[in-house]
Amino acid sequence: MVDARIDGKPASLEAAAARAAEILSRARLPVIAGLGTDVAGASAAILLAERLRGAYDHMRSNEIFADLDVLRQAGAMMTTPAVARLHADVLVFIGDDLTTIWPQLIERLAPGEIPPLQLELELRQFIWIAPPKASPVEGVAFKALETANLQETLAALRARVAGRPIAASEEETRRLDEIAAILNKAHYGVLVWGRLDRLSVEMATGLILDLNKTTRFSSLPLGAADDAAGVVQTSGWSTGFPVRTSFGRGYPEHDTWRFDADRLVESGEADAALWISAYSDSTPNWKRKIPLVALVPSGAQFAHEPEVRIEIGRPGVDYDAAEFAREVNAIVAREATQRSNLASAASVIANIAEQIGGDA
Amino acid sequence: MLTLLKGGRVVDPYNDRDEIGDLWIEDGRIIAAPQGRQPDATHDVAGKIVMAGAIDIHSHIAGGNVNTARLLLPELHRSRTAPMLPLATAKWSTYETGVIYAGMGFTTVVEPAVAPHQALQAHLELSNIPIIDKATLCILGNDDFLLGLLREGESRAAIADYVASTLAATHSLGLKCINAGGAEAFKFNARTFSLDDEVPFYGVTSRRIVEGLQQALLDLKVPHPLHLHCNNLGVPGNVETAVATIDAARGMPLHLAHMQFYSYGQEGEHHFSSAAATLAAKINATPNVTVDIGQVMFGQTVTISADTLRQFSATGSAKPKKSVINDGDANGFGIVPYAYRESDFINAIQFACGLELFLLIDDPNRIFFTTDHPNGAPFTSYPDLFALLMSRERRAEALSRIPQSVLALTTLPSLTREYGFHEIAKMTRAAPAKLFGFTDRGQLGEGAVADVAVYAPNGDIAKTFRHAHLVFKDGDLVVRDGRISHYRWGKALKVNPAYDKAINRRLGAYYEEHFGVSHNMFAVPAHILPRKDPFKEVACAK
Repeated sequence: MVDARIDGKPASLEAAAARAAEILSRARLPVIAGLGTDVAGASAAILLAERLRGAYDHMRSNEIFADLDVLRQAGAMMTTPAVARLHADVLVFIGDDLTTIWPQLIERLAPGEIPPLQLELELRQFIWIAPPKASPVEGVAFKALETANLQETLAALRARVAGRPIAASEEETRRLDEIAAILNKAHYGVLVWGRLDRLSVEMATGLILDLNKTTRFSSLPLGAADDAAGVVQTSGWSTGFPVRTSFGRGYPEHDTWRFDADRLVESGEADAALWISAYSDSTPNWKRKIPLVALVPSGAQFAHEPEVRIEIGRPGVDYDAAEFAREVNAIVAREATQRSNLASAASVIANIAEQIGGDA
Repeated sequence: MLTLLKGGRVVDPYNDRDEIGDLWIEDGRIIAAPQGRQPDATHDVAGKIVMAGAIDIHSHIAGGNVNTARLLLPELHRSRTAPMLPLATAKWSTYETGVIYAGMGFTTVVEPAVAPHQALQAHLELSNIPIIDKATLCILGNDDFLLGLLREGESRAAIADYVASTLAATHSLGLKCINAGGAEAFKFNARTFSLDDEVPFYGVTSRRIVEGLQQALLDLKVPHPLHLHCNNLGVPGNVETAVATIDAARGMPLHLAHMQFYSYGQEGEHHFSSAAATLAAKINATPNVTVDIGQVMFGQTVTISADTLRQFSATGSAKPKKSVINDGDANGFGIVPYAYRESDFINAIQFACGLELFLLIDDPNRIFFTTDHPNGAPFTSYPDLFALLMSRERRAEALSRIPQSVLALTTLPSLTREYGFHEIAKMTRAAPAKLFGFTDRGQLGEGAVADVAVYAPNGDIAKTFRHAHLVFKDGDLVVRDGRISHYRWGKALKVNPAYDKAINRRLGAYYEEHFGVSHNMFAVPAHILPRKDPFKEVACAK
């Protein structure tokens, strides 16, 4: 039994889907937001956005585009957790949020162990730039590079790796040179980061490109939650573009400012929204109230009760799903761990799409 | 439903047929002319060319590498028009890919480079390519497990079991090897890698890897031989590598991919010249090898390759100036955008090399038409390439526009051969069917699937091939004058060789130890793909 509500009152799934279809197809520019869903849900949502001539965005776009904007402006070198674990003789963590973003990070990358696929079987060097206050790694020593300004520290480190002078104290320069020497001597190094700003991502990428002139280095950005990577991949093959894409003209157009869902809603450009969050009870914190259809788990709390709310299950828990798996850096099929009758985002979107007339 | 294509020129080299005649279709298959029955639909195709649907043997259309290229280059694929069918005009989308291929009369396309750990994504993408049938070749040859087997001198059977298990898990039609050992050597900071170089840590040569995989496929009786991307792609003087690799095949079947990129000499003031004539002579004299070309056509494109060593070395010439190099669990991939310019000496030599190979290799059963989409040019340029092969006038005109210093370094100006429709059909239909062991397509014989393309010659060869007059997929009329009327969903073709399943227990333990995950994590369960019955098996030899 699917828990569906119209204006807060229990309704059949069919009635809720019909009301959702009415709200979305009547809008001039509906936006599909949240988009925390598996591959099937993202596929269905994008096809629905096309039919509605609406826009779509993901709730983690600010994190997504910190990495992706740099990639498509300056390029990238990256690798997988397995390569980092098996090959890397130098691991460099950046930021205090890594184990919060990915609790299995230490277990997966084993920074305190010997890389089994390196020529010399020695413990790897482990550096942590801007580490957390309390070390999350018990029994594994790392060289900490504390910093009050990450952008500056990365820039200075990059300069010292390339043997260029920096405007810093002798003590500071010596500290950086010690790290720079380790990076330059690495056989295969990997930089690991989580939520960084664009300038820091660009500087880290530049550092990697510089190091590859003489040795091997790569990156492992941890990416964002709510299947952000799976949704971006699905969006890529479906429209050619990542999220923040609109079908206002019938064909896909991508613009990270114009099609930012938050901006579309707050500015009044969007006049109805479909919010999808299958992985968490996240809800939008929009100040402006617009007609809202929500596909969310039970317990999600909204500032304004949605016009239509349909409960959905969690991918890989309530039903089998394809989603991006951080531990292998690939889209994988997850078998349901607690199979239930809860509906998938894809099936509810299909229900809504069926209720939309041909001229939506 | 009984359909009659009446009075066209039926060009079906697979069955040695080239004549004015009729073609009958019923229930998705080609049938013999029925006695005393009236067709439900008749298409008068007098004056038109009737061929089987074309088969593209090597085109990068899906997978994490292709998708990364899409995300890297949003500025290169802006859409311009609203579609009649879902996402049909979304540039470089899976949907548009199927629409354009079908519009040109292609009904089967092989994605030739799927990393085993990326197989699910590749099949998800392929499932969203409408109309055409698809297939994948999975990549081995830079993976720790195989290199370990070779280093330890394990048995032929163990290697064959591993290959078979990987083909089965990834639902692949065949096996690709890309710069054997080179991508792994790049992780150890190798910047060049040749046939007899050893992969550090493993002490195994590229030659040994190729031999091992070639033998495994023979032992497994997989119809398609090893599909090889040789070492030293794009390097001046690399014709020597190509010739040495052909010798390394030791008379056993081997398919060599995009050989244009290996047909370079070092003559002239730029130390870069065409050695295509030398390579073509070698291929003509070596009946156990087949080749595809990877023709360069001038214009903007992007190179997508799992040869990370080569792609890294090309990043300096990226245009626009940005690239992605991804060290994967085995091969990984490199994405380097590139613009081939008519006025550029090197690019003009490359253009000439490809055409020379097309015109100097005698046997159209052993040469395959590709641009290595999108590496030499996007697949949308195929019609222009057909025109160059079929018209020496067109070639002379093209040669008049390139730097004239190129002409002395290629035999192209002296070549007068012109392909006819029969040879085009051989190269794009009959020969690919044989290459992959298809008995049901690439031909118009009784019982074949009714994948049929009808072309209307109009004096402009490129235009003729760009917009097929009619295309039937499984007997269903999906294209009229290049326009798609509706979507249908094709299959992914795969082999299912017999092997000793004991290898799977060993792989299970290996994955737990090295990757910390279950081997099953990389499986591609059919029910997770968006279409029902997504696969179709191609039989291995008995």
